[in-house]
Amino acid sequence: MPDSLIAVRDALPYLLEGSLVTLIVVVGAMALGLVLGVPLAAAQVYGHPVLGRLIAVYVWFFRGIPLLVFLFLFYFGLCTALDINLTAFTVAIIVLGLISSAYQSQIFRGAILSLPEGQFKAAQALGMSDLKAICFVVLPQALRLSIPGWSNEYSIILKDSAVTYALGVAEIMARAHFVATRTYQQLPLYLAAGVIFLILTYAGTKGLRLLEERVRIPGYSPHGF
Amino acid sequence: MSTPILKIENVSKRYGKKDVLQEVSLTVNKGDLKILIGPSGAGKSTLLQCINFLVKPDEGRIWLDGQEVHYAHKHDLYAYRQKVGMIFQDFNLFDHLNALENVRIGMVKVRGMGKKEADKRAVMELERVGLKEHMQKYPAQLSGGQKQRVSIARALAMDPRVMLLDEPTSALDPELIGEVHSVIRDLGQSGMTMIMATHQIGFASSLASEIIFMESGRILEKGTPEKIFCHAENARTREFCSKITELYGETR
Repeated sequence: MPDSLIAVRDALPYLLEGSLVTLIVVVGAMALGLVLGVPLAAAQVYGHPVLGRLIAVYVWFFRGIPLLVFLFLFYFGLCTALDINLTAFTVAIIVLGLISSAYQSQIFRGAILSLPEGQFKAAQALGMSDLKAICFVVLPQALRLSIPGWSNEYSIILKDSAVTYALGVAEIMARAHFVATRTYQQLPLYLAAGVIFLILTYAGTKGLRLLEERVRIPGYSPHGF
Repeated sequence: MSTPILKIENVSKRYGKKDVLQEVSLTVNKGDLKILIGPSGAGKSTLLQCINFLVKPDEGRIWLDGQEVHYAHKHDLYAYRQKVGMIFQDFNLFDHLNALENVRIGMVKVRGMGKKEADKRAVMELERVGLKEHMQKYPAQLSGGQKQRVSIARALAMDPRVMLLDEPTSALDPELIGEVHSVIRDLGQSGMTMIMATHQIGFASSLASEIIFMESGRILEKGTPEKIFCHAENARTREFCSKITELYGETR
């Protein structure tokens, strides 16, 4: 067996442990982005125009600054200045989640706007408050329509999570780099890291595709696949 | 005389500089079926949407059962809308819910009924519009006529005092209009109070207690079907009625 393969084989358990870290960061960030993004989107569509403008500023802010700048700003800047003791791992989830909330809010906003106006009107006509109409009529439909965009967001966050290696988060990239510099087997190890990312992207987008099919409204968009 | 179910006084609505409704007043008594006719852009649809405040009127007051509706108070507004059923031209069934769930959702989420009780009632209302065997179907699996009947069942499940029907058959194939008309006819015969915009004047004249002719956001003339269709005073009413009779068949 060539040295390169041996290096990869030896490093594999270590790299797979890193995949777990990556996955937790990604799932955590997606979840935080979802929890923040849904109300942001609903408020931007149905809220007061002033609130809508504030949210637009929020979106601009989190989409406008590069991830690496944010990570350093938060971890080395803010945490030190305010004397907050957070691990790099936690900061990675928070920062990726905040940025994702900005992107996700626009995925959901697009989905909400694509619904026929009559859906909300019909809910109002039944005597629903705006909040009830949003929760029981708008979101169940809009979230279904958001899954393709969400799948996009997943693959982007997954790849972005590699940047958190700069804070020392022990994810796939950090571990591949660590082993590569120690064993001088750069090519096979970075290649292995790339392959792991490819597999994770495939599994995630495939899973979301299955979810999309599972929650599909009967009789609706039969040509989805 | 008893209190009218619905009283509308001087309702006006402007979009920019355009007056869509100008001081429209209307009194609706129990069991009335008022039919709104008039060319498109006359304000029929805006009037109906102003009545349940889906469109906020700029001026005017509305009373339901003698109680003035203060729509700025959210609580009053939501309570009022529950009592005013709305039927839309394009049905607006909730696409993610099947027929049964469409009829049930208002009872459960708005009236706070238990699921079992609401289910029973929903099945009853679907039976009333002849769709009990289709209750598991989703809107995308129903025909236009069936969708409109589900939407009528959905409104009826809220025990409305009055129903507003905004051209309920305009989006339907001609051969599906009959099934919706027969449901509306049954409703009228059971004493439901309704205001309906329509171009189906054959149907209108056989059922209406009053025909209201609107143009440019005003009520130009109103009266019994016989008066409006045969002896209209206003020249515009006569012109419109003769045109629409040509298009939609004889008045009866």
